Amino acid sequence: MTTFELFALTWKWDPVALGLAAAAPIAYAFARRPHAWPRALCCAAAALTFALALASPIATLADGYLFGAHMLQHLLLVLVIPPLALLALGGAASGSVPSRRRVPTLVAWAMGVGAMWLWHAPALCDAAATSQLVHRVQEGSLLAMGTVFWWPALAPDPARRIAPLAGVVYLFGACVACTILGIAVSLSPVQVCPVYAHPADALGILPTLRGDWGLTPERDQQLGGLLMWVPACLVYLVAILATLRRFYRVGTGAEVSR
Amino acid sequence: MSGPTETRGLYAWFATVDHKKIGILYLLTALVFFIIGGCEALVMRLQLAGPGADLVSPETFNELFTMHGTTMIFLVVMPVLTGFANYFVPLMIGARDMAFPRLNALGFWLFPFGGFLLHFSLVAGGAPAAGWFAYTPLSETPFSSSLGTDYWIIALLVLGISSVATAINMIATVLTLRATGMSIRRLPLFVWMTFVTAILIILALPVLNASIVMLFIDRQLETHFFTVAGGGNTVMWQHFFWTFGHPEVYILVLPAFGMISEVIPVFSRKPIFGYEFVAASTVAIAVLSFGVWAHHMFAVGLGHTFDLVFVAGSMLIAIPTGVKIFNWIATMWRGSLRFTTAMLYAVAFLIEFVIGGLSGITFAAAPIDWQTTDTYYVVAHFHYVIFGGSAFGILAATHYWFPKITGRLLSERLGKAHFWTMVVGFNLTFFVQHFLGLMGMPRRVFTYPDLPGWGPLNMVSTIGAFLMAASVLMLLVNIVVSLRRGKVAGDNPWEAWTLEWATTSPPDAHNFHEVPPVRGRRPLYDLGHGGASGAPTPEDASEPTLDKNAVCVWSLVASEASFFVILIFAYVFYNANLAGGGPTAASTLDLRTVSIYTACLLSSSFTLWLSERAQDRGDHAGSSRWLAATIALGLIFLVGQAREYIGLWQSGVTLSSNLFATTFFTLTGFHGLHVTAGLVALAIVLGRALAGDFKKRPSSTLRAVGVYWHFVDVVWVVVFTVVYLRAR
Repeated sequence: MTTFELFALTWKWDPVALGLAAAAPIAYAFARRPHAWPRALCCAAAALTFALALASPIATLADGYLFGAHMLQHLLLVLVIPPLALLALGGAASGSVPSRRRVPTLVAWAMGVGAMWLWHAPALCDAAATSQLVHRVQEGSLLAMGTVFWWPALAPDPARRIAPLAGVVYLFGACVACTILGIAVSLSPVQVCPVYAHPADALGILPTLRGDWGLTPERDQQLGGLLMWVPACLVYLVAILATLRRFYRVGTGAEVSR
Repeated sequence: MSGPTETRGLYAWFATVDHKKIGILYLLTALVFFIIGGCEALVMRLQLAGPGADLVSPETFNELFTMHGTTMIFLVVMPVLTGFANYFVPLMIGARDMAFPRLNALGFWLFPFGGFLLHFSLVAGGAPAAGWFAYTPLSETPFSSSLGTDYWIIALLVLGISSVATAINMIATVLTLRATGMSIRRLPLFVWMTFVTAILIILALPVLNASIVMLFIDRQLETHFFTVAGGGNTVMWQHFFWTFGHPEVYILVLPAFGMISEVIPVFSRKPIFGYEFVAASTVAIAVLSFGVWAHHMFAVGLGHTFDLVFVAGSMLIAIPTGVKIFNWIATMWRGSLRFTTAMLYAVAFLIEFVIGGLSGITFAAAPIDWQTTDTYYVVAHFHYVIFGGSAFGILAATHYWFPKITGRLLSERLGKAHFWTMVVGFNLTFFVQHFLGLMGMPRRVFTYPDLPGWGPLNMVSTIGAFLMAASVLMLLVNIVVSLRRGKVAGDNPWEAWTLEWATTSPPDAHNFHEVPPVRGRRPLYDLGHGGASGAPTPEDASEPTLDKNAVCVWSLVASEASFFVILIFAYVFYNANLAGGGPTAASTLDLRTVSIYTACLLSSSFTLWLSERAQDRGDHAGSSRWLAATIALGLIFLVGQAREYIGLWQSGVTLSSNLFATTFFTLTGFHGLHVTAGLVALAIVLGRALAGDFKKRPSSTLRAVGVYWHFVDVVWVVVFTVVYLRAR
């Protein structure tokens, strides 16, 4: 199987994921009028990424074939889809009474970091790659934990967000925790998820992955660790810069007009 | 605490806790080391002036480049930047002193002590000779058997502690001592960048400390962290070193960015262009600096995947750096430029640093890196960054701030002669090294064969180096002459805008008679142009709200966390697939007894919390009782740990048994050390509580020490999980 065929033919067509990905923008279009285009785009991007993460070849490969694909899926679910969704909901409930934040900041942070660490305990990681049920639980929990994590930074109501500089510390801390795990995974002399070392090759694509792509189990694990290390940190970095932008806008009059 | 006492003469300099005097001490001590390091460089250049020279032996040459690199980085650039920060950060934010003046004095005195230790190696059997990054296994005992490397390690440890102490102090100063209206958004960029650098220091230096401690244990106690012989891993040293080493580059250069950001606007008569971008890109650089160190290791053979990711990551750093360069250029655009010596250095900085940055980008491409690594191209690159960048920034700041420190202006005529000699000398020295490197001349060789072109280019480089030396002499003469006969500067000779120029030159012991109102980023400009009148906004009345003890202890916790992350990482990495026989966690550790001691330590956190609550209620006797209980529980833990160690030793498990034993004793031993330190702190607090100190006025001391104690407990929870529970 060539690489092209692999990308063309191994879509997972997960009906639940595709249904959700289609339903969310429709619901959004009905619920939020008039539309603010940047937010609507965020919603579309979130739905598209969701479909990509759960129904595309990424999902197929994450099911026991490639640790790197699993990591990509993992990162999309925790670091990309929740913030896009929260941005889409932005500006919803301003002017309301500033109620207490429901989740304490430290707990939210621990959720975000926990989402990274917990599912890479070898036993859990293996279970998620082999059992559909555990995989569903994993996907759901990653989305949920990701949302809780991003809430203090991107809550739809700006009044409920944490102070910008505290937000920078919050995001930087998460970046460091994520980096440490990424380093540990990419330098680890043992397999983090042993399942990926010996996939049950039902689709007959293993020769492509091992041969054409050159992804031996060791390299595959390195790739996964590196994805968590550098690109994941860039997501946090973008969020940090956005937070700083918010910080420097306050008091210059720009905030008032919004 | 008593106020500043007026003592005069030499003793006043030894006993001082005044941030300005400490700042000057930093600068002068660093100047001494600069002359030493510079002379080392000159000897090397003389040796390399022609092919096949034999002025110094190969061994001496190794010692020279090791000492030169270590001296210039740890004893010159870092202390000079710290010295300027020490002098000017409190002034620029309208504070009277640093947050912790005595800690500041401690931080300073550790610095000459570290420098002394490093140079003491010369009389103790030979200077270190393994290069400034001391790659293993070269730096291990079989290949570096003299005590030089050991002194290098101890010196760096002392200097690292000094830097962390000062950085914590700097963070606390900026966060808690700003004048009314000096919000974080209005911080002068030098202060902001020093602040970000301080955060880098508290996170990066402990990584170096942890790794040199491991190297030291290897050398002194015959263990095998970094030697292949005992199952260790030499590449691990490189990872650890560059985890520190890459942020270190930004520790050296970010404050210089800050200096440039002060000098260019003042001599362009324009506010800095895009303040927010300069400030935010600093944060971006700081974050990225922790994620891209492996680009120093392309030639190690980490693998294709590694290289690809780090090529991409490293290229990204060019973006925030480029943003800064463009902002500085845009600041000068259509300004009314005054080319004083300070401004000339700022402009030269832009040009030289861009050259260094561009050659840096070429290194980010792995194939070019393979071709040029370990050649003079690297030497050229990092001298353009550290000398053309950091040092030119420092020289700009020297000419800019000299009148504030001394009350007299440096001679502009001599200054310009010095500047042009320096620029010509610098480019002669290092530009040709690009070519030498591309022609294949390896760095760190004591001599070279007479290949076409190598001799003349090296001669040019040597001539350039001596021009630089002449230029430094001119600067010294300028300083000495101007101190006596220089034009009197007045408060604000450059018509600058930041708060340090609002006070006398030199400032009084207490800095300001009255801090001017701060209504924007340029308080003195506002003062002269009516900007300070009119109704104040909420930001104008903003005051820092953080408690300095809390800031101090949380910074310390962050720093210690960084230290323990490396030790824990080493434990996990080396025990993941332990080869060979010998003791393992599963075969030697007794979970049951350790659980009892663990319970004691964890409950001590609870009793400490009760003690804090009692103090909040005003129940001082109850608070002291709970505090005593906390200390008792901590002692039980230490006794338990001692018993465990004795048991292990009796069954023949010692530090050098195998990598499990090495990492186990290192990790738990350092944790025990921290428990001990926590107990000492708690005992001091208890002593103060019994003396009735806390009855007079509310104090955050107990809370601050409490944070540290809880942190030590949290570390133990991680250690317990990783070491004991995982072994089950």
